[in-house]
Amino acid sequence: MKKTSTSSPISRRTMLRSSGALAATSAVLAACSSTKPSIARIGESPTTVKLEDLAVTDVVLLRTAMSMETMAAAMLSDSAVTALASKDTAPVIAAFAADHTSHLEDLQVLISARNGEAYSGTNAQLMQAYGQTALDLVTSGKLAADTLALTLAVETLIAGTYQYFVSLAVQPALRADLVRLGARSSRRAAVTAQLINAGTGGFAPANDKDGSPLVATLPGAFGSLSAVQVRLGPVNDIGTRATVLMDTPSLNSLIY
Amino acid sequence: MDTHQVESPDMSMTTRRRLIASLLAGGAVVAAAPLFAGHASAAEADAPPPRDAADNEGLNVCLERESRMVTTYRNALTGLTGNDLTAMSLILDHHVAYAQALKGYLAVEVGKPSSAPLASPSGSLASIARQLAALEDQTASIHTDTLATINGLDAATLLASIVTVEARHAAALLLIAGASPIAAVGN
Repeated sequence: MKKTSTSSPISRRTMLRSSGALAATSAVLAACSSTKPSIARIGESPTTVKLEDLAVTDVVLLRTAMSMETMAAAMLSDSAVTALASKDTAPVIAAFAADHTSHLEDLQVLISARNGEAYSGTNAQLMQAYGQTALDLVTSGKLAADTLALTLAVETLIAGTYQYFVSLAVQPALRADLVRLGARSSRRAAVTAQLINAGTGGFAPANDKDGSPLVATLPGAFGSLSAVQVRLGPVNDIGTRATVLMDTPSLNSLIY
Repeated sequence: MDTHQVESPDMSMTTRRRLIASLLAGGAVVAAAPLFAGHASAAEADAPPPRDAADNEGLNVCLERESRMVTTYRNALTGLTGNDLTAMSLILDHHVAYAQALKGYLAVEVGKPSSAPLASPSGSLASIARQLAALEDQTASIHTDTLATINGLDAATLLASIVTVEARHAAALLLIAGASPIAAVGN
């Protein structure tokens, strides 16, 4: 008597056969693989270099903070600013620039405590993105008022940077240190805003008689992380001025 | 004689062999998963938690401070007019917003914050501003010290956004009190 069973499509024999075929195929494919680019090219072509894995550590944040402080000091002491600042505001702006330089020592201590390496350069990425543009506009505008506008923007940017870094820092103690440094820039921003629009009338956001926004010492209840906007440079043919947007550092402008 | 045994369509599709094969496949996937997710796991291990119940005590201290600042500013508004009143009312509104934000964060964990005034600022605008600037500095210090002790990222970012503006309050009030720009910065 012959029995034919069709109850299951998977038998032990079928499984062994399938597994063997799969292993053999894998071996063949592995042997065919190459480190060279798979797309056919004529002549020499560069090999693909895999990007290294970079982590945003507390040391990276501190190194980036150093680059931002260096950039702020460089911008505020640039000849474009010092040549145009009035005799009343020039010493204040110079003192602010010196403050940023002094913060580098605080940051170096924090980096050394974490076995990191200090960074002495400016943030080249952001200097290229908007720093140099802002200085060029101040130079071409030849307006003394632009020096204070730029100072306010830079101090607001640095304060925003430290505030943003709190959300990235791992150690609670470091978050407090970052906020302390950011608060100093906040104070400088408030003082600069008062130099532009003095008195209690300059505290709240308001517009002038033409409807243009005036500089406010206290623009919001909570610290803002949005891009800092500043109008600089000469008035163009249609009666407006260039607006520079200054963003806090992001993944492509951190100093790893 | 040939006998054909045909499987009935409504017969269960789960056999012991399939079950074992499925378990083996599932086990292999589970075993291999960490190999693919190694970096993500390492990164997440260091990430601070968004909230931590241990932070509530410190945040309640911050809330009480803000509640007392609100009362202090309400008292300081008496007698002010025009731009001076508008300016101080703006700062009062900020402190109201801070207290509300902290209450909202703490929710059912809110304690019973005192709202007793911290001082009774009086006299000229300069005199009032000087007293309030000192209180702003103290408040920012309390929040910053708290920041050094809390683990939760949400509370840390909230406090950072508050301290950033309270530093502005202090400097602006010092200028109104007659301090020089360099002194108002705190140098």
